[in-house]
Amino acid sequence: MSSENDQAGVAAPEEGDAGYQIRLGVFEGPLDLLLFLIKKKKIDIQDIPIAVITGEYLEYLNGRERINLDREAEFLLMAAILIYIKSQILLPREQPIEPDIDPRKELVDRLQDYQQIRAAVGVLREREEEQAQIWRRAALTAPLPEQDLDLIEVSLFDLAESFFAMMKRKQGENLQVIQGKKLSMGDKMNEIVAVLTERDHIDFLEYLGSQDSLEEALLAFFCLLELLKARVVVAIQEQLFHTIKVWLRREALPAKDQE
Amino acid sequence: MMDHLPQILEALIFISVEPLTPDKMAEVLPDATSEEIAAVLQALVAAYEDSDRAIRIVPSAGGYVFSTKPPYDEPVRRLLQIERRKKLSGQALETLSAVAYHQPVTQAEIASIRGVDSSYSLHTLLENKLIKIVGRKDAPGRPLLYRTTEKFLAHFGLNSIEDLPSAEELKKLMQEENA
Repeated sequence: MSSENDQAGVAAPEEGDAGYQIRLGVFEGPLDLLLFLIKKKKIDIQDIPIAVITGEYLEYLNGRERINLDREAEFLLMAAILIYIKSQILLPREQPIEPDIDPRKELVDRLQDYQQIRAAVGVLREREEEQAQIWRRAALTAPLPEQDLDLIEVSLFDLAESFFAMMKRKQGENLQVIQGKKLSMGDKMNEIVAVLTERDHIDFLEYLGSQDSLEEALLAFFCLLELLKARVVVAIQEQLFHTIKVWLRREALPAKDQE
Repeated sequence: MMDHLPQILEALIFISVEPLTPDKMAEVLPDATSEEIAAVLQALVAAYEDSDRAIRIVPSAGGYVFSTKPPYDEPVRRLLQIERRKKLSGQALETLSAVAYHQPVTQAEIASIRGVDSSYSLHTLLENKLIKIVGRKDAPGRPLLYRTTEKFLAHFGLNSIEDLPSAEELKKLMQEENA
């Protein structure tokens, strides 16, 4: 039976039956297998001969060399449901079975719901194929920011964190720079203000990273902190996780002129 | 009617990366009525469709957007350096269909419809933003409820959820298949 099942798995698509998605000869689930058997036996879904279909179904399960309980527990559950329905039918009754208390009804409803989903899968798959072949301009350009920039004024801790992250990187570079440059905080502060006046804003990390040496970067960092404290500059993060930028405070401009 | 309304709408759609809705068009064109806009849009879509041009205007997620036509897929992909588009797995697509036709729906309901556990597929679909959580069902355990998203519509080139074939249409499809 096992080889026949494999054939069945392969044969279904050849029948031009796009509704059945059989990957590697495996059914999507017990309902898929049931629908396949119903179709194969040309059975009316409203009047399923439970004995026949249960036999077919169990034969399919038996044909498998072993059952992977993790993946195939649902197939076993369906076998149990089929056998339960069969037992319900076999029980002696005083009156013939009425359609609305037909023990098969729940299963038939489920099968029909599932059949509808399979048909929808076919439609969606077709549409997906078609959509995969058309392209929009959005693919080339980055989408525009949807809302206004959410400006976050950053705390000392954010600055320090960024700074230490950069220090680590600089250490990794392990550059030995020998130079006799004399550094002073006053000069550095003037330099920062001059750069800010010229460039409108600086990227905090980029600026510190562009310093010639670790000492100079350290000095620049303290100068920036000093300038922040003196409210000459303001540090702003446009969005969470974005880089921190430093701007000259407008009201601080006259102060700079005095220098 | 406003002068050059077709050209104006064409320009507005052209510069829009996301589908541009008729409401938004009406908002920037106070002199045009929404009926005029709707009529012109229909004519524009048809004009591009019938033309030899490689691009067309498609209704998508309630708006209109320019796209290429299918025959030019291959060269476009070469330009974008994309080998092929990501497609949904069979399981994911089946789960997505179940959500689309039964929304809002819980994980247990989907599992019952499909006959198999669907938690993994649901997770994948959530991650890809094809479905979203819209609340909790007023039932024991207060399970989460799922719905399809705008991205779902865009992925399948649907204008709205009503564009999906109805239960009757699906039934007809199944009968054709079985015939």
